[in-house]
Amino acid sequence: MAATLIGNYVESKMLRFKELVLTMQEFFYFALRSFATLPKAKRYWRDVLDQALICGVESIPIVLVSSISIGALMSMEVGNLLEEFGAKTMLGRSTSNAVLRELGPLLMGLMLSARYGSRNGAELGAMQISEQIDALRAFGTDPIAKLVMPRLLAALIMFVPLIALSDFAGLQTGALVAQFYHKLDPGIFWNSIYPRLLPKDFVVSFLKAPVFAIIITLVSSFNGFSARGGTAGVGRSTIKGIVASSGLVLVANFYVSKLVLDIMH
Amino acid sequence: MIELRNVTLRYGEKVILDKISLTVQDNTIKAILGPSGVGKSTIIKLMLGLIKPNSGQVFVDGVDITPLKEADLYPIRRKMGIVFQGNALFDSMTISQNMSFFLRENLRLPDEEINRRVVEQIRFAGLEGYEDQLPESLSGGMKKRVAIGRALIFNPKMILFDEPTAGLDPVSSRKILNLIASLKKSNDLGAVFVTHIIDDVFAIADEVAVLYQSKIIFDGPTAQLHDSQHPFIKSILSDKILEL
Repeated sequence: MAATLIGNYVESKMLRFKELVLTMQEFFYFALRSFATLPKAKRYWRDVLDQALICGVESIPIVLVSSISIGALMSMEVGNLLEEFGAKTMLGRSTSNAVLRELGPLLMGLMLSARYGSRNGAELGAMQISEQIDALRAFGTDPIAKLVMPRLLAALIMFVPLIALSDFAGLQTGALVAQFYHKLDPGIFWNSIYPRLLPKDFVVSFLKAPVFAIIITLVSSFNGFSARGGTAGVGRSTIKGIVASSGLVLVANFYVSKLVLDIMH
Repeated sequence: MIELRNVTLRYGEKVILDKISLTVQDNTIKAILGPSGVGKSTIIKLMLGLIKPNSGQVFVDGVDITPLKEADLYPIRRKMGIVFQGNALFDSMTISQNMSFFLRENLRLPDEEINRRVVEQIRFAGLEGYEDQLPESLSGGMKKRVAIGRALIFNPKMILFDEPTAGLDPVSSRKILNLIASLKKSNDLGAVFVTHIIDDVFAIADEVAVLYQSKIIFDGPTAQLHDSQHPFIKSILSDKILEL
């Protein structure tokens, strides 16, 4: 009896593991095909522009909200802490580290995962269950070139200026909080940043843009293409896409920082 | 001509199609009849190479399409048109954009030729005046006619219909069936249509294959269906509609 139960348990775990490996294999193939279709960008330039508008221009408000809040929060909290040690003049440097290298890009990545990733997942999922993706294939159009490649390319292009905007807005807000909340002279704030800014600060920040673009676009699109089981299936695949891409953004954020800081030590 | 030879398809442990063989000649309307969920639509997807069988071969005009890569399948698929059960129209595009989309995507034709073909199909489908409407504003029967017009846009030799009258009222169903029958007469087209409605089969099909429990239990001229002694066929002939 016990042996049968254990046997069944092991068998079900093995089956789930097999499914996981199979899904990872399919995702790897999907990602390869998405990159392989990048040379077709010229043919689908209108789709690339449409997606650039959606993931770039239309994402500006949410990116500003996240970067302004993180800049203000970091400046306020770190300023209070530094004041205890009489080191408030280092507030600019502390805020810039957090905003440029870590929390700024991370929060932007999570916000874009929720906004752009969910849109991709839901839209492609709905196309999948209504057989529109099958229709593309049936009439001789590669759905990955038509639907995924423009999303990927647009994100690769647009996430870089979004990071720049996020960095700029976060630092400006930090400076304003330093000036009006901590009564710190703006000159002191910016002087503690500029001389100490290093190339690695920007490399960490801007390298995260393409990494997040690849993760968010491919994971959400793959889940949309994998949607099964009617409208409920679209919901499930969208949620799966957001959870997976957000988790991967968190992991990638750590490893990109570690890699760059190790190399450019 | 489309031929399925000893095709087996499994999803996990479940056998959907078990060594089925089937031939569809050009300029013939062939129905694939069977209960819901038995794998009829899967046969259409196999014919287009949208899914690959676990074993067996699918031939289109003598070419075995089962080992072909996706890119090599595109020119073969354009020999056939397909009308999906839910129509699969692009909901953000107008009717004429839906019809011209694949021409613009796949053929380098001048705009005049594209417009000519679209106007021709809109007229054939009886949708003049609806060119600039979105699919959501059309009735079920009209959407089906748009999907049929779109399926004809590459001038295919064969059209595949997945449950063409499902969800339509009797009048719209009759119009769609007449449209399918007229394709054979006026355009020399062959057609495959999967259905669970036996009246539709007798209305327009030259031949019928009956799919039951993963196997083809009858394949021949529609008129000979009455001669079959298979208990399932005898029961469906008395019930008229297959809902198991």
